[in-house]
Amino acid sequence: MKPFQYVTATSPAGACELVAGNGRFLGGGIDLLGQMKEYLADPKILVNVKALPGLDKLEPGEKSWTIGTNVTVAQLEDHDELKKTFPGLQHAAAEVGSRQIRNVATVGGNLAQHSRCWYYRHRDVLCLKKGGDTCYARHGDNKYHSLFTGNTCISPVVSNLAVTLGALEATVIVQRGEKTLRLSIPEFYAKAWDNPTAHHSLDAGDLILKVEVPVQQRRSAYLQVSEKSMFDWALVSCAAAAKVKGGKLSQVRVVLGAVGNVPYQDEAANKFLEGKELDEANANKAADLLLEKAHAHSENGYKIPLAKTLIRRALLQLAVG
Amino acid sequence: MPSWPEKRTLIGSRVKRIDGPAKVTGAAKYPSDVQPEGWLYGMILRSKWPKARVTKIDLEKALKVPGIKAAVTARDGERTVRYYGEELAAVAGTTKQACLDALRVIEVEAKPLPFVVREEDAKEESSPRVWDDTPNLSKPGLNEKGDVDKAFGECATVVEGFYTTPVQLHHPLETHGNTVSWTDEGLTAWSSTQGISSVRDGFAGNLKLQHSQVRVISEYMGGGFGSKFGQGVEGSLAARLSHDAKAPVRIMLTRFDEALAVGNRPSSFQKIKLGATADGKLHAFELESYGTAGIGAGGSSEGGGGGAGFPAPYIYRVPNTRVRQSSVNVNAGSARAFRAPGHPTSSYGMESIMDELAVKMGVDPVELRLKNDPSEVRRKEYQLGAERFGWKEKYKKPGSSPGPIKTGVGCAGATWGGGGGGTQAEAQINPDGSIEIRCGTQDLGTGCRTLIAVIAAELLGLQPEQITVRIGDTQFPPSGGSGGSTTTASVSPAIYDVCTKALQELQTQTGIADARGANWTAACKKLGVNPLTVSGRWQQGLSSSGAGGVQFAEVEVDTETGFVKVKKITCIQDGGLIVNKLTAESQVNGGIIMGIGYALYEERIMDRLSGVVLNPNFETYKLPALADMPEFDVVLLDMPERGVIGIGEPVTIPTASAVANAVANALGVRVSSLPITPQRVLDALGKKAESVPAAAAKPQA
Repeated sequence: MKPFQYVTATSPAGACELVAGNGRFLGGGIDLLGQMKEYLADPKILVNVKALPGLDKLEPGEKSWTIGTNVTVAQLEDHDELKKTFPGLQHAAAEVGSRQIRNVATVGGNLAQHSRCWYYRHRDVLCLKKGGDTCYARHGDNKYHSLFTGNTCISPVVSNLAVTLGALEATVIVQRGEKTLRLSIPEFYAKAWDNPTAHHSLDAGDLILKVEVPVQQRRSAYLQVSEKSMFDWALVSCAAAAKVKGGKLSQVRVVLGAVGNVPYQDEAANKFLEGKELDEANANKAADLLLEKAHAHSENGYKIPLAKTLIRRALLQLAVG
Repeated sequence: MPSWPEKRTLIGSRVKRIDGPAKVTGAAKYPSDVQPEGWLYGMILRSKWPKARVTKIDLEKALKVPGIKAAVTARDGERTVRYYGEELAAVAGTTKQACLDALRVIEVEAKPLPFVVREEDAKEESSPRVWDDTPNLSKPGLNEKGDVDKAFGECATVVEGFYTTPVQLHHPLETHGNTVSWTDEGLTAWSSTQGISSVRDGFAGNLKLQHSQVRVISEYMGGGFGSKFGQGVEGSLAARLSHDAKAPVRIMLTRFDEALAVGNRPSSFQKIKLGATADGKLHAFELESYGTAGIGAGGSSEGGGGGAGFPAPYIYRVPNTRVRQSSVNVNAGSARAFRAPGHPTSSYGMESIMDELAVKMGVDPVELRLKNDPSEVRRKEYQLGAERFGWKEKYKKPGSSPGPIKTGVGCAGATWGGGGGGTQAEAQINPDGSIEIRCGTQDLGTGCRTLIAVIAAELLGLQPEQITVRIGDTQFPPSGGSGGSTTTASVSPAIYDVCTKALQELQTQTGIADARGANWTAACKKLGVNPLTVSGRWQQGLSSSGAGGVQFAEVEVDTETGFVKVKKITCIQDGGLIVNKLTAESQVNGGIIMGIGYALYEERIMDRLSGVVLNPNFETYKLPALADMPEFDVVLLDMPERGVIGIGEPVTIPTASAVANAVANALGVRVSSLPITPQRVLDALGKKAESVPAAAAKPQA
């Protein structure tokens, strides 16, 4: 780790000002400190944003819930009312890391976390994402990598919360200088689709303030499969949200995680399900549509049947509310 | 001939670790905890190249980093490094950060050389050689018995298979390392080791010191699994830094380092053919295998052991066998002995092909083993285990359980030698009734300290807490390294001997006919002012070797996600006279956990293009955790007439084989590589769908 300055911000605009140049925001620090210890990041200044007023609040609302950037993943996991309203989000939170990590990790940090690709994270491999000229994963061991990408890098987005918040059509509110931006989840990650060095669409000085999750009377579900029973990254994750009335689906969103360098959705699948019976055949058809453009590499072909299973199971889970 | 007491109250009971409170409160000082006056941190610079000619290492800038007190190169002059992570230099300083900073300013001039890190590539003649004068693939050692080709012709059933096992890393929870103080008076090392004597000899040999000038202390240590017999390059570097800095230096490796240069279990690629006659008797066996022990025998392999060969056809006796085994060098760290070297690897291939044979013959896998296993103990264990496990009710035709989540069962057997000898011990009985037993063994985590207390207390009629046990210091009477499951069988007889003699001496000196139990304090008081000191040594007749065990596994496999969940492991293990049931069972639990890791999670992954270890951390080198554990049912066959036998190794051998057989039984198709990940399960099922298109085309109900 290289020497750095440390300062506590008292306002969002002030935080953005302090971080300008070569700084990073410090929330839970779970990802950032790891990057610094591995010399993947060497910020000159760490701007502590944990003391920013109001950003640690989880506020239920009739139309939408507001989740501050400093709300911990454990708070999402433990919130009884959230579990009733957004069961998919609660489940996604409960699958993040270990309980010790969830106690410290924040919602903002989870959304903005960097790639976990083992080439990217390796201290002695200069890969495309780090500014090198080769995506090692394409030629190497890619069992954890993407089926979908808009560029040469195949490291996937692994944020559990992003997948579920995508399905729930949440909005991320971001401070950029003096302004605040409202980004949908697809917008929040769009840059990573095209740009191999990007992890999301945020600029260096952008600060996530909060996330708004519309209520919309929709059901939601989240499923993931990992190599281990717990405290492990998803090989594939899937979130689904929809209204279910008289066995029929509407306002459907199905999103996959760990298969693309954005939380992956396909409008064709969402549209197909609109107004359809919630049954196995339709779920399977949606799964086929969603995986239609999947491109498998040497080691990750198994993710296609795995993703299809999770799509079907997540959708069918909506039937039981 | 000495013998264990007929009537035993403590031996064979469940005694809690006498050092448990010290360990959980932090009072116990591990080598990574000790802080001798003025100690410095030490750290190692490692090769970033899988292979390179290193022409110059400049330490000047490192020595100028504030806080840095010494810097040394691992070797003098030009050299070739042969794997990513090989030691180049080391620094010592007042803080960890100073060392990290210093490592980053050491200038290394090197010419990268072509390398190869994967076994399949390395064995090709066209691949770069790890050692210039030797082909990567060794000439196969041939072991032939009977007329194999003719014998296969006489078989009613013949099966063939190809099985692979990964390189497994030891990853003890306490990493490798030592705190070393080297002054003109001599060298003291606090070492995380399973062999204080071999570490003492290692330091003395490496630094040209007399054995008497070196003292090694390892009062507590955090596991080794076969990889901690020597002081290691890290120990020698710490000693040289201590000498230069004139201060004690601690080098404990990082978790990252652990994946590179301190040993591993060799991989295997096994092509097996097995045949049986119509009556179900094994008749012909052929194995061709290769595997890697890293840079191999040409390089330094601290602690020895760990070649790529393994016993075949393992526990079975087949009249006609042909075995050809090779090693293949790759640019990766050397193997070291790893809990039951060769056996889990061998067991996985052999027990897999046994189940294939059973399926093809249409017989129950347990029946096939009862017919062919030459060990009477194991046959008894199979019968007992099958009963407890409910094998007859649970075993069904492969792949026949209904629905997408399928259950399956499997079994496997293991053997281990063990035995022991060579240990000495002394006892000091004080007039106040306190007693101290000293023995130069070490507690690898198996409960050795408690075992000594249990035996002493039993023989003297005391409670284990009344015995002060001192171990882990080369100033105590010598014992051997803790490897090969020999510690219990080496130490127990010496403790028996010293306690028996001490009691006799106490009774003779004091004239008390029976000084045990209630008379103990009065007898000791009669000693007067001087304590009584007695020596003892290992005696024949109290321990033996040869431990057989069998395990049964029940699994649940989600055929749509590939996820395997182990539901139950039943273990029936023979260990002769069990000294402490609690710690013995704890060893079994640890063996099963490690076996489940080998079955489902663990694999060192080398990257072809960069030559680095891709998963040098617990994020991607996956170890089993609590949530991955099934129900354990452990039965230790108590056979006191056989004396004490070690069981640390046999209990990890059959677990992965039993789990793999259970997965094959669930799926109806075999995943023929460990670890059995969701990727491999789904790939195996996909292959099946291709080869049996009718099943794939069947419409869903």
